[in-house]
Amino acid sequence: MYLYNDLDQTLINERVEQFRDQTKRFLNGDLTEEQFRPLRLMNGLYIQTHAPMLRVNIPYGLLSAKQLRVLAHIATKYDKNYGHFTTRQNIQFNWPKLEQVPDILADLADVQMHAIQSSGNCIRNITCDPLAGVCADEIEDPRPYCEIIRQWATLHPEFSYLPRKFKFAVSGSTKDRAATQVHDIGLNMKKNAEGRLGFEVLVGGGLGRTPVIGQVIAPFIAEEDILSYAEAILRTYNRFGRRDNKYKARIKILVRETGLDKFKEQVESEWVNLKNGPSKLTQEHIQRVKSAFSPFTYQTISNDNAYVKNLDRSGAFRQWVKQNTVKHKQTGYRVVFVSLKSPMRPPGDITDQQMNDLADLADQFSFGQLRTTHDQNLALTDVLKEDLFELWQQLTTLELATPNIGTITDMICCPGLDFCSLANASSIDIAQGITDRFSDNAIDIGEVSLKMSGCMNGCGHHSIGEIGILGVDKKGEQWYQLTLGGADSHDSKLGERLGRAIAKDNVVDAIDDIVKVYKVNRFNDEKFADTLLRIGLQPFKDKVYDTH
Amino acid sequence: MTLIKNARITQDNWSYLVQDQPLQASNNIVNLDYWQTNKEALISSSKPVGLRVRGEENPANFSVDLCHFSLIAIEIPSFTDGRGYSLAKILRETNQYTGEIRAVGDILPDQAQYLNRVGFDAIELPNEESANLALQKLSEFSVSYQPSFVTTKEFN
Repeated sequence: MYLYNDLDQTLINERVEQFRDQTKRFLNGDLTEEQFRPLRLMNGLYIQTHAPMLRVNIPYGLLSAKQLRVLAHIATKYDKNYGHFTTRQNIQFNWPKLEQVPDILADLADVQMHAIQSSGNCIRNITCDPLAGVCADEIEDPRPYCEIIRQWATLHPEFSYLPRKFKFAVSGSTKDRAATQVHDIGLNMKKNAEGRLGFEVLVGGGLGRTPVIGQVIAPFIAEEDILSYAEAILRTYNRFGRRDNKYKARIKILVRETGLDKFKEQVESEWVNLKNGPSKLTQEHIQRVKSAFSPFTYQTISNDNAYVKNLDRSGAFRQWVKQNTVKHKQTGYRVVFVSLKSPMRPPGDITDQQMNDLADLADQFSFGQLRTTHDQNLALTDVLKEDLFELWQQLTTLELATPNIGTITDMICCPGLDFCSLANASSIDIAQGITDRFSDNAIDIGEVSLKMSGCMNGCGHHSIGEIGILGVDKKGEQWYQLTLGGADSHDSKLGERLGRAIAKDNVVDAIDDIVKVYKVNRFNDEKFADTLLRIGLQPFKDKVYDTH
Repeated sequence: MTLIKNARITQDNWSYLVQDQPLQASNNIVNLDYWQTNKEALISSSKPVGLRVRGEENPANFSVDLCHFSLIAIEIPSFTDGRGYSLAKILRETNQYTGEIRAVGDILPDQAQYLNRVGFDAIELPNEESANLALQKLSEFSVSYQPSFVTTKEFN
């Protein structure tokens, strides 16, 4: 894990003081609300329905046990004893007091964490594959590059007042688990014909009101050129992106209105001037950051006897292993997903107590590190198979072992109307209804991604859900638009509208109808997405709208 | 208006051309239209002249004439508009412009160091109080991740 040097630490300490001064000036009336707004947003601070919301960055989803304990401490001391993990691998606190935020930031800085640019019209947290460094299908560990990009983007003087927010995602594997196609810039690591490392660069993807799949702007940019190329894209966007309408200000609109070819031309004419400038990376720099991500010292395991015995011992354990763990590149180890989708709490929520106990489990079983996933779960990525049984027992006690990863109850969900001032409709109670309805047969239904947003800004990624639910406002009432057939990995695509919006009370029944149509039509182990592709939307439409 | 230049409050000896008013004897800051119409005369007068452009101006529209300007004033219409930052960076790095680059318009003291780091060496602020705050903010961060353009060159 990357550890801060003096420069890194000085910078975040100075940032805390900067924000402390800005908050003080705002509270004294020396900064107007209009002036303070962009400044606080660049520190992750929103003003929400009930209270400020503070979003803390978890760069590329990597978290130490020590850091998780500080997040727990913040939940205890400044919030209502819980936090909420987001689809961009960050954590949000929903109840801090404005005047206490500088102190929260100081506590975070003590463990090398911050909220810099977790909101605002600037470069946001760099996200990546939660399985980076441990999956078998990896070309290269993307995390060192994420860290390099994170540093470059932090307080970037030229790109702090962009037309709109700007999101990077980086994937190092052939299977995209970072949703690179729906980011402003998506980077897929690859090797070219000469074996040199670099990136396929996608641009202009995004969700929100106008979901767009990103396009390839450059099939191969060598690793040393990635910052200068990103700089050329950002500069082109900063200069030409629309500023007259916030809904048309994302880079996807610029790329669409300019046309990819012309946009690429603009970027490359800028890149010529930047390519061999100070942003060119040296091998020494890359290697220095890479050394912070060297693999753990794994044990060599000669047999699986203890693990197999445990599998034989308990059906519930077997089910959890099957559903919530995946293969590790190192023999004898598995990756464990910690489900934050228990029936006990809203999706992505975790209590301070759970965080503290989970930090202990990370120390005990997984080298003291955790990951956050863009499905709003956590992962312990390096667990010995023979430890799985004990870990499962402890996670079960903590209500963190619901065996539902990848199933219908492992849904992505925004905070919705209950917390968010933008939302049209609530998400959390619909999520609860779905959890109640499907908990008992989620595994039988199998792999299906259900994603829900309380408004068209799409924080819950509804448009790329195999089942998407979007909250809409109809004359002050909460209605829900369903879409089917979205996808979020590699061949990302946007879901198709099923039909007219559905009243709140009927949403869970409608999802039930969709599941029934699938179960009746599926062949053997056919997945939901495949059945849908084969039989089309119509049978689902017929069922949902005949009965409502 | 209070001007800070090279990290101190400085007497401003430049004037902006006001429409339909005659030029001052020297140190006039003119807009791009005026420059293009009166280029010959301004050059032959051999008096220091400055150019005022909006942050979104395409530098290609005046880069060939850069050698004639002692000063470029970049107008920032709203403090949330970052286009002027890119323009300054392009003028410094791509066009190697070494004269004064001045930020004018809606600017928060909090932005002083950001402006300075992309190549602005002068900032106009509404009053002495905000200028003093901007001076403090110029050294708010003692470290940075990006290489920055900081001019130390004095220019009159």
